Amino acid sequence: MRQVLVLGSSGFIGRRVSLALAGADWASLVSDDARGPPGMDAGARRIVVNVEDPGSMAAALRGIDTVVNCLGGKPETIVRGARALFAAAGRAVAPPLVVHLSSMAVYGSAQGTMGEDAPLRGDLGAYASAQIAAESSAASYPRVVILRPGVEIGPDGESWSGRVARWLYAGRLGDLGPAGDGVCNLVHVEDLVTAIIICSQRREALGGTFNLAMSEPPTWNEYFIAFARQLGAVPVRRISRRALILEAKGFAVPLKALELAARAAGLPALSPPPIPPSLLRLARQEIRLDCRRAARVLDWTCRSREAALADAAAGWHRDAAGRPLRVGKADRPAAR
Amino acid sequence: MIASANDLPDGHCLDADICIVGAGAAGIAMAMELIDSGRDVLLLESGGFDDDPGTQALYAGSVADERLHSPPDRYRQRRFGGSTTIWGGRCMPFDAIDFAVRDYLPHSGWPIGLGDLMPYYPKANRLCEAGDFAYTVAEAFPVPTRPMMDGFASAHFTTDTLERFSCPTDFGARYGHKLRAATALRVLLHANVTAIRLDPAGERVDTLEVRTLSGRRFTARARHCVLATGGLEVARLLLASRDRHPKGIGNGHDLVGRYYMCHVAGTIGTLRFTTPLAAVHHGYDISAEGIYCRRRLALTAQTQRAQGIGNFIARLHHPRITDPAHRNAVLSLLFLARPFIPYEYAKRLHGDEQVAARAWLAHVRNVLSGPLDVLRFAWHMLRDRKLAERKFPSIVIRSRANMYSLDFHAEQQPNPASRVTLARDVDALGMPRLHVDWRYTEGDVQTVRRALELLAEDVRASGIGRFDFDTASVEREMTRYGAYGGHHIGTARMGADPRTSVVDADCRVHGVGNLFIASAAVFPTSSQANPTLTVVALALRLANHLQGPGAKA
Repeated sequence: MRQVLVLGSSGFIGRRVSLALAGADWASLVSDDARGPPGMDAGARRIVVNVEDPGSMAAALRGIDTVVNCLGGKPETIVRGARALFAAAGRAVAPPLVVHLSSMAVYGSAQGTMGEDAPLRGDLGAYASAQIAAESSAASYPRVVILRPGVEIGPDGESWSGRVARWLYAGRLGDLGPAGDGVCNLVHVEDLVTAIIICSQRREALGGTFNLAMSEPPTWNEYFIAFARQLGAVPVRRISRRALILEAKGFAVPLKALELAARAAGLPALSPPPIPPSLLRLARQEIRLDCRRAARVLDWTCRSREAALADAAAGWHRDAAGRPLRVGKADRPAAR
Repeated sequence: MIASANDLPDGHCLDADICIVGAGAAGIAMAMELIDSGRDVLLLESGGFDDDPGTQALYAGSVADERLHSPPDRYRQRRFGGSTTIWGGRCMPFDAIDFAVRDYLPHSGWPIGLGDLMPYYPKANRLCEAGDFAYTVAEAFPVPTRPMMDGFASAHFTTDTLERFSCPTDFGARYGHKLRAATALRVLLHANVTAIRLDPAGERVDTLEVRTLSGRRFTARARHCVLATGGLEVARLLLASRDRHPKGIGNGHDLVGRYYMCHVAGTIGTLRFTTPLAAVHHGYDISAEGIYCRRRLALTAQTQRAQGIGNFIARLHHPRITDPAHRNAVLSLLFLARPFIPYEYAKRLHGDEQVAARAWLAHVRNVLSGPLDVLRFAWHMLRDRKLAERKFPSIVIRSRANMYSLDFHAEQQPNPASRVTLARDVDALGMPRLHVDWRYTEGDVQTVRRALELLAEDVRASGIGRFDFDTASVEREMTRYGAYGGHHIGTARMGADPRTSVVDADCRVHGVGNLFIASAAVFPTSSQANPTLTVVALALRLANHLQGPGAKA
């Protein structure tokens, strides 16, 4: 049995990876989540690790064969966590295989079709820069696989399913017209988990970097409209250019300030939260992930767009009064 | 990329695989379809991003009868986006019967059928931003919408087909950013094609002559040339290019400019319902993807054949606005707001009727009598039309008296005597202007009259009320505002036989190997449907042809 440590195992993706590993006969799960996800095998070993502390990380890696790094959250956590991980892994007696979860954000504002060898641009804010820094900390570590997923959706995903659903229900997202013509490189979380599991097992994956998204991605408009229809958040609204400008330039900053103030005061978060300008920028960006390498080397396939959206919408049905369920759940994921 | 022809050196020759003339619905749809084709595409547009009176004046011409047809520079726009900058957005596909040879309808029949367009309609629908290609209530709404006229049973009409509405989408504003970002596509603004020059044998386009209003001249040469300039300008360009063929290109059999059709349309009669107010639903339903959809009365194909008449649809409509007897505050408001409503809409809303001072006063009284209705309507128009990007398509007034008029839109039969020709005078670039002699036939009157009679019978037989109209007034009402504006059809008709048609089934001009037409000019018949959706579908089909079989020609 291989000892597999999942870092960020309480997050959207970490939790799914942990569940998959807990059910695998070849792996023994080691989780950094003290409570553990519901439904997970009680037999999993739980450890406490300060991911930003190299010493704590080194201790956590003892006896570990494989690490799946799903650390997310704040940019500095991503960078420090990756640095600590690869530093500790480099010094380990038996260096573990690291499956490192990066992001398509590393391609920055580039347009067009992106293969994995395309230049990385840190021109889209702190999150993108952090992902590039995290990847570069793995540069001298040979036993690593880097995964760059696109837009991750799933029934309990907050970033690209939960908050999008609330914006759709609130009529603040919908058909954005020219502002939503960018490519939405969707990937369902379970397909991402499949890729992670394959990478933990396949020798051919070692040292590789892989884009992960569905091969026929929708535009953002198509995603919003199809997701809204799956959710029953209809009729879908056409969001005018004027409304988007207000949302991105007029309301975003004061709403964000309100949100931070509310959090500091211990009040419930705004729901739905302000639409960040970064999302509206992404919705225009014509960037398409070329995922042929994952298909070729990993034999990776993913579910259809319809199946992925139907599953992502499944947790969001309305109650008897027609109100969208789970609207109040706006907590920010600490990890991915 | 998008550039201006004013920045090109004089005498320059532009080369491309495919040159499209006209950046309206058809030209932009083709360009969008060709973006990733690997072809080098040149899209020449006469206008710029905005309305320019000097450019628009190039459209000016004359009409044989001003009561029957609007001036040629109305209802069409010579600018990036073309007439989609002013269109109303009504979308619906043609019916299968529209393509058929109908022995009772002279010159009818297309060399292609509905099945040939079906692969392109859904994408055309998306480009028009009219949502799913779902044109029946059953397809568009999982839960059927309210019936149009509850209790109406008819062997002649259906009420479950839909018209769907575009935003209305200005193709230039909507897709300009895609064209600008495309690398193998050049859009050249302010580039007026003034002549098509053929090779010495007169069998291929050699060059297109291009001029700007600022005085520059250059040429464009392409393996394939596509005229996407609208039904009037296509005829003008073909007729004005006479250096190899003295009667104009494609005009060996004197067909270019003939068979000119619009639609016959009007508002007529009074439909009084005896059913409850709620049994009548003449407004819009919104589909899941957010599209305004509306049911209409559609004459069945079977009835058309049995009666030997053309295609016909009708909608319930408010009473005539100009007559204050309707005593409706909102309608009177619309009358008084006439100076603020664009010409193209005002014409059919009020016509050019002279209204007596006493009637003006009555309108003012009507407005004052319903301040709440006026406020509600004003708010609705502001929120759902003025400020909305997806605009509420038309004015829908619920009648408290349960009384409506009927708004009809009918097929016009092809008539060689209805035509556009070149006038003697020329525009600022030296091109002969157009002269429009639009005509209708007794058959057109018969289509409308017979359809209305059948409707009156069916309403009475259903026991839901009665529809009264003056049979003798049909011709007057269907020509009250003249030919339906903006639908320019048939001037370069499609057919298999060069003796009776201008282009073949692939939209290629007979006898000219590399000249194609993407326009309602090629429609041999006019259908009941507004033409834009079918123009876009045909343009997409042509774009595919030029990448496939047509690329080798």
